[in-house]
Amino acid sequence: MRKISRYLSLYRIFVIQYIKTTMQSKVDFFIGLSGFLISQAAGLAFLYLVFEQIPSMQEWSLEQMLFIYGFAQLPRGVDHLLTDNIWMVGWQMVIKGTFDKYILRPMNIFFQIVCEKVQFDALGEILVGLVLVGRAIVNGTVQVTPVKIVFFIVSVTAGTIIYTSVKLILASIAFWLKDSSAIMTTAYEVADFAKYPTEIYAKPIQAVLMTILPFAFVAYIPSTFFLIDANLWKTIGAECLVATVIWIVAYKIFQKGISVYESAGN
Amino acid sequence: MSENLIELNNVRKEFVTAKHYPGFKGAVKGLFSKETITKTAVDDISFAIQKGEMVGYIGSNGAGKSTTIKMMSGILTPTSGTCVVNGLEPYKERKKNAKNIGVVFGQRTQLWWDLPLGETYTVLKEIYEVNKADFEERMTFLNDVLNLEEFMHSTVRTLSLGQRMRADLAAALLHNPKVLYLDEPTIGLDVVVKDKIRQAIREINQKYNTTVILTTHDLNDIEELCQRIIIIDAGKKIYDSTLNQLMQDYGDNCSIVFEWKQTPDARQADMLEKLSGQFAFHKQENGIQVRFHKKECTVAEMIAKIMGIVEVKDVQIKETELTDIVKRIYQGSEGKAI
Repeated sequence: MRKISRYLSLYRIFVIQYIKTTMQSKVDFFIGLSGFLISQAAGLAFLYLVFEQIPSMQEWSLEQMLFIYGFAQLPRGVDHLLTDNIWMVGWQMVIKGTFDKYILRPMNIFFQIVCEKVQFDALGEILVGLVLVGRAIVNGTVQVTPVKIVFFIVSVTAGTIIYTSVKLILASIAFWLKDSSAIMTTAYEVADFAKYPTEIYAKPIQAVLMTILPFAFVAYIPSTFFLIDANLWKTIGAECLVATVIWIVAYKIFQKGISVYESAGN
Repeated sequence: MSENLIELNNVRKEFVTAKHYPGFKGAVKGLFSKETITKTAVDDISFAIQKGEMVGYIGSNGAGKSTTIKMMSGILTPTSGTCVVNGLEPYKERKKNAKNIGVVFGQRTQLWWDLPLGETYTVLKEIYEVNKADFEERMTFLNDVLNLEEFMHSTVRTLSLGQRMRADLAAALLHNPKVLYLDEPTIGLDVVVKDKIRQAIREINQKYNTTVILTTHDLNDIEELCQRIIIIDAGKKIYDSTLNQLMQDYGDNCSIVFEWKQTPDARQADMLEKLSGQFAFHKQENGIQVRFHKKECTVAEMIAKIMGIVEVKDVQIKETELTDIVKRIYQGSEGKAI
């Protein structure tokens, strides 16, 4: 318990320091945020264009698609907001040897990486997600019940864990290959597939989304629970199981990676 | 019970890299070949360091100094052998070990780059759980020896190299570590700042009995700070002894340069010639340089001998410098290796 409160207070301190740093360049913050809003707008425009041609896609209406799209933004946005610094492990820290500093401090290493940065750009994703989910509630695409609210929160949390774990695994590859940013970028592109129903893709892609890069579980599969009252265990239950397993695997790989970390010469 | 704070036993560290071939074809080939190259950075090194010692750890570039420090600080795991620091194996009990050590890498900083310096210390205080009283006591002391106050409110990235180094040293000492690893702490600094840093390290060692391990290319650092010196070359330990012992072993070579008042005539030249059979003479423009072993002849005797023959305008006595000794030790080890 003492440990948790210590880490919470450290998190607060780190985040405050980070905010102070970003305050020094407010322009950056707004450019980042508006960049994300623009890319979100483009994504939505794309959906409308498609639906002008095809009124429904694999049984899903435009409103339902918009819910899935919005719902997918939330775990992605939260992951992006809180753990964006993991990118740096795959991109620079290992190859440059700056990862050393985490090892030298008496704190959990994963925690140190994560709390060093808060990616406020992600607020754009979260905002779009909330607006689209709100819209789906208002126009009756999904019904609000206390149970659904609880599972909504559970699902977003589990989805975030899946995103973070995939990112951690791919970043950890850098401990062996020195630089895994290319692999990470590719996976990030694949993560875009999570915004649409998995069934619309070709079978091999579906297989990937259900297994090695399990992005099908972060939004589409759990969203069917909210949209068409699909079986709770087969949707959110499966999502939680996947999240737990992939997190354990990711953390083990990360720890193994640290033990083979070679630092860099001066 | 031994008093050893640090013990390395047959520590070895190998780096395995994939073999690369030149050219595009080579790159493709490298992609599919399983050939690897094993580079031994640290080769079977053992030593023990006692509490409060200040040890100079030296070697040429790529000799394995930093690799050893990184194993002692827990960044790297040895390929074989054991390394124990204050009863812990650093790479196995990373967090506990981290509280016992302070590290300064001369070419990297652990300060928060975009924030005023003072903020770094506030954050470190929380990370290392330093209580308020200790924090204030240490900050006062570190302020005294490192004069941090003048730039305490400046953003770290605006600090000069010398200021940053002082700030980094303070950051490594805030939690009063038992061991302080300094990896080239004076690199790129001017003489005045170097002196200040050395003075501070000395005072810290005296006040807190901190064990200090120092790697450097500036042997003046060693001469001024360390009682003991460990030399490694190509990953192997080639010398480990006190600085005094080193001077006794290698430092009794002496060289004197004489400058003539007048060029010696034939008779004087002949007498010098006789002497040169005994000692190493090197003719110089307008004089000679004599090299000899102090066991064979004292400095005074040598001067008397020469001045008895030729009238001399100027005399320069050069004791062997640490740099020369270390150079000779390196060369000696190369000889052995061949």
